[in-house]
Amino acid sequence: MAIVLLLSPFLSNAEIKNVSTENVKIAGSCALCKEGIETAAFEKNTSKASWDKDSKMALVTYDSKKTSIDAVLKKVALAGYDNDRFLAPDDAYAKLADCCKYERAVKKQAVAEKKMTEHQHGAMADTQKNAAADTDPLKPVLDAYYAVKDALVSSDGNTASTNATNLVKAIKAVKMDQLASEQHMVWMKVMKDLDFDADHISETKDVGHQRDHFSSLSDNMYKLIKSGKPSEAVYYQHCPMAKEGKGANWLSQVPAIKNPYYGAQMLNCGKTTETIK
Amino acid sequence: MYFGKTAGIKAIFPGIIFLLFSEIAFAQKIVRYDLYVKDTTVNFTGKLKRAIAVNGQIPMPTLTFTEGDTAEIYVHNELNEETSLHWHGLFLPNKYDGVPNLTQMPIKPHTTHLYRFAIIQNGTHWYHSHTGLQEQIGMYGSMILNKKKETVIPTVPIVLSEWTDLNPKNVHRMLHNASDWFSIKKGTTQSYSEAIKQGYFKTKVANEFKRMNAMDVSDVYYEKFLINGKNQSQLSQFKPGEKVRLRISNGGASTYFWLTYAGGKMTVVANDGNDVDPVEVDRLIIAVSETYDVIVTIPQVNPGAKPIAYEFLVTSEDRTRSASLYLGEGIKQLTSPLPKLKYFEGMKMMNGMMKMNGDLDDMGMNMSLNQMDMNLVMYPEITGPVKGKKMKEAGKPAEMKGMKMDDSKKPMESGHADHNMYNSNALSSITTLNYAMLKSPLNTSLPKDAPVKELRFVLTGNMNRYVWSMDNKVVSESDKILIKKGENVRMVIYNNSMMRHPMHLHGHDFRVLNGQGENAPMKNIIDIMPMETDTLEFAATESGDWFFHCHILYHMMSGMGRVFSYQNSPANPEIPNPKLAQRKLFADDREFHFMAENDIATNGNDGEAMLQNTRWSIGSEWRLGYNDHHGYEVETHVGRYIGKMQWLMPFIGFDWRYRKMGMDEVETNLFGQRNTKDKRSILSAGVNYTLPMLVSAQAEIFTDGIVRFQLERMDIPVSKRLRMNLMVNTDKEYMAAIKYIFTRYAGVTAHYDSDMGFGVGLTLNY
Repeated sequence: MAIVLLLSPFLSNAEIKNVSTENVKIAGSCALCKEGIETAAFEKNTSKASWDKDSKMALVTYDSKKTSIDAVLKKVALAGYDNDRFLAPDDAYAKLADCCKYERAVKKQAVAEKKMTEHQHGAMADTQKNAAADTDPLKPVLDAYYAVKDALVSSDGNTASTNATNLVKAIKAVKMDQLASEQHMVWMKVMKDLDFDADHISETKDVGHQRDHFSSLSDNMYKLIKSGKPSEAVYYQHCPMAKEGKGANWLSQVPAIKNPYYGAQMLNCGKTTETIK
Repeated sequence: MYFGKTAGIKAIFPGIIFLLFSEIAFAQKIVRYDLYVKDTTVNFTGKLKRAIAVNGQIPMPTLTFTEGDTAEIYVHNELNEETSLHWHGLFLPNKYDGVPNLTQMPIKPHTTHLYRFAIIQNGTHWYHSHTGLQEQIGMYGSMILNKKKETVIPTVPIVLSEWTDLNPKNVHRMLHNASDWFSIKKGTTQSYSEAIKQGYFKTKVANEFKRMNAMDVSDVYYEKFLINGKNQSQLSQFKPGEKVRLRISNGGASTYFWLTYAGGKMTVVANDGNDVDPVEVDRLIIAVSETYDVIVTIPQVNPGAKPIAYEFLVTSEDRTRSASLYLGEGIKQLTSPLPKLKYFEGMKMMNGMMKMNGDLDDMGMNMSLNQMDMNLVMYPEITGPVKGKKMKEAGKPAEMKGMKMDDSKKPMESGHADHNMYNSNALSSITTLNYAMLKSPLNTSLPKDAPVKELRFVLTGNMNRYVWSMDNKVVSESDKILIKKGENVRMVIYNNSMMRHPMHLHGHDFRVLNGQGENAPMKNIIDIMPMETDTLEFAATESGDWFFHCHILYHMMSGMGRVFSYQNSPANPEIPNPKLAQRKLFADDREFHFMAENDIATNGNDGEAMLQNTRWSIGSEWRLGYNDHHGYEVETHVGRYIGKMQWLMPFIGFDWRYRKMGMDEVETNLFGQRNTKDKRSILSAGVNYTLPMLVSAQAEIFTDGIVRFQLERMDIPVSKRLRMNLMVNTDKEYMAAIKYIFTRYAGVTAHYDSDMGFGVGLTLNY
């Protein structure tokens, strides 16, 4: 008995004092999320949380003298989980495991809105250009290609794979009959190879392998784009060091060099060899 | 009714005159502020600490003027110590510049001082105490000078600062005694065990071989960073879609801040109070005492959707902590914190740049204007995450295949992309502001026909001893630099020290020659990174004495500065006794700093105490046994540090010893010299030299002809809190000790000593 009494202050010392509890909503979708949320909210003798997958509610217990509900929820958001008070940074959300990529309610709205306003704005400011872009049947392919390229610039195999899946879709969706005759001929020639390379990029997450395919993908894209008149200028760029000194090309929407074959290693190795307008 | 009408018509003419008159009156408006400087206690961390508040607030109140106003600022010093206020970045008569003992005498306790000057410029500026270390504990505030016609956009003055629970005098003392307490707090000890764990053992050895201690990007550990005196705050008045101008001043004493924003890019529109052509960036670093005007947009939301607030994140350069300001109302969108620095990568980079003689070698890269940031080897967001564990998990990233950089290879030899090795904008998609991107909308050329005076400065320093200087001379060791009114002064400044320095010129803006030709930006602070060279020029149009100094408070107080003095200036009425003023000014960097350590051990009591300043060291070591056989010994050395790196220190000493040896015991040293005296009090002369691996070699000759040679290495960082000391000398004495640091002032030491044997004890240090 005496021992228990003696120990009890030590035991309670090891726990959270000045207890406050609060029920808050934290976004998440699977058991992995539960672990992530609870780890982020935990600090020894200061705070902890218990999250329920079905209700998305967490019971947060914290020492009100040492921390606050805001401080705890901020840590949870920085780990990637939107909640009542804070929205996670996009990169933190992107790092979550696939099973844990919950639907981002507020965020999506904002993004959709942004796109819409941009669209409206574009339509009002420059109807002609917009119309041209809409009628160019290869525009979605080119855009999807750029997305793959940008992912390779940041050496992000995951994103490159996802974006390549979109590229495959975009290639399949092209209405050939809308292409001008010359471009139609080229399209028939390269379509299979484009599809083949895009497919391979989407199947792997190994950036090295993706870059091998990206090189032939780019060559075919170049043939295709050059045969028509793109709605916006396309910059054909070359890095002599890529592919162990053999050199490789790519297309870019901007004149500045951002090398997709090396990424950060040698980001601006290369030069624009041709501008297709 | 009738009457009224006629009167109204008649009144028009005088009315016009009145309007004209009021215009003139408006232009000469006197704006008065009363500032009451008072002691206060604050609680930023859960502990009550002393601070200084002005009109009851920290930061000091924002002072707002319009170009053309006359400022009348009454400073009521209610402290029990002297104070002063400096108007940072303002053009004003020399006697109102606010540097105590240079442009005025200090404001004595319980007196009032008037600063009265015309506002002849516009822009974002700030003000702070220039007395001692008062700036660290609250004496900083925004000073906004509006244009006569200011653009209509919501504007928020922001002053950034930091807080430490330590008394800043103690911070200053600890820095001068190379205390590594701050790096323990920051987790930046970079000890041998950490180096081995992360695979950087060779790097650490090379680093110590070049006589460097752990590298860091900041000197002081701070408990809190503050935006307008708060760590977290929200401005809910802003609506989605709105643009907001932040007028940011860095009022920190020694902290550079990274600025990032959750709502997209930021547009930089002014720097140091001068407009620049707008530049869009993802982030920027604000040097100590710089100001930036930045426009941010609060992103639009769906019609009907709830508004979102966006985080404006301010992170200290060492990335230990941050402060947040949320712009807008509603749920808060965060931005990711900056990832922790890869210190050993930084150490490796420093090893490559450091020559054996302590000079830095830029390998022909001609660095300037912050375009190349050597520190980016430590930034995970640009150069990838920490090597080791993570790397293995990720398999082998493709980037490593093509270009493998050998450790031993110097950057220049790797061929290809050298010129961009350290250019973060070329290496990543994150746009970081640098000085080359600043362009003035105006032609800022200096008068063409004026004579040019060219001055060259090398910024010098020694982290181990915390001596900071220009051309290896501190303020008290150098003469004033004489300049003539009407000439153009050009300064070429090279930073040969291991820290970056924000150099600030009082009372003038200088042009930064940054490749923008006639549109070179005007600034009054320039941050110069190690190995950078920058060229500045200004038109000498004033009179009097103007301070030019490093704005890191602890560097300035160590003497890193110069005084520009206009020839044939009229005497300053605020300085009645120039000789006395100069002596008091010089006292700042001549100050001695005290340190002491004592080990109360089972086998004796030993310790040391030292008083040191820029060049001199007075030190005493004692070993007191608990009985006569072990003896009592005190050695005192007075020495002077020589050279830029201060590795050499000749000294004279005094040695006193008493002990009772056995009947026939005689001590013989390695040279066969015999020493039988149990009572010894004797003079000596000798020299200390710091060898590679930070080993201190000491040769000493005593007046009785006895010679002693000794090697000693103190404070080898074994692990985060474990330090080892080793010593051996020609008196056949040796010592090995290992110390665990518990708190700032206490640790436990186990040591073996040839005289006193094995002992364990409590070590107290101050």
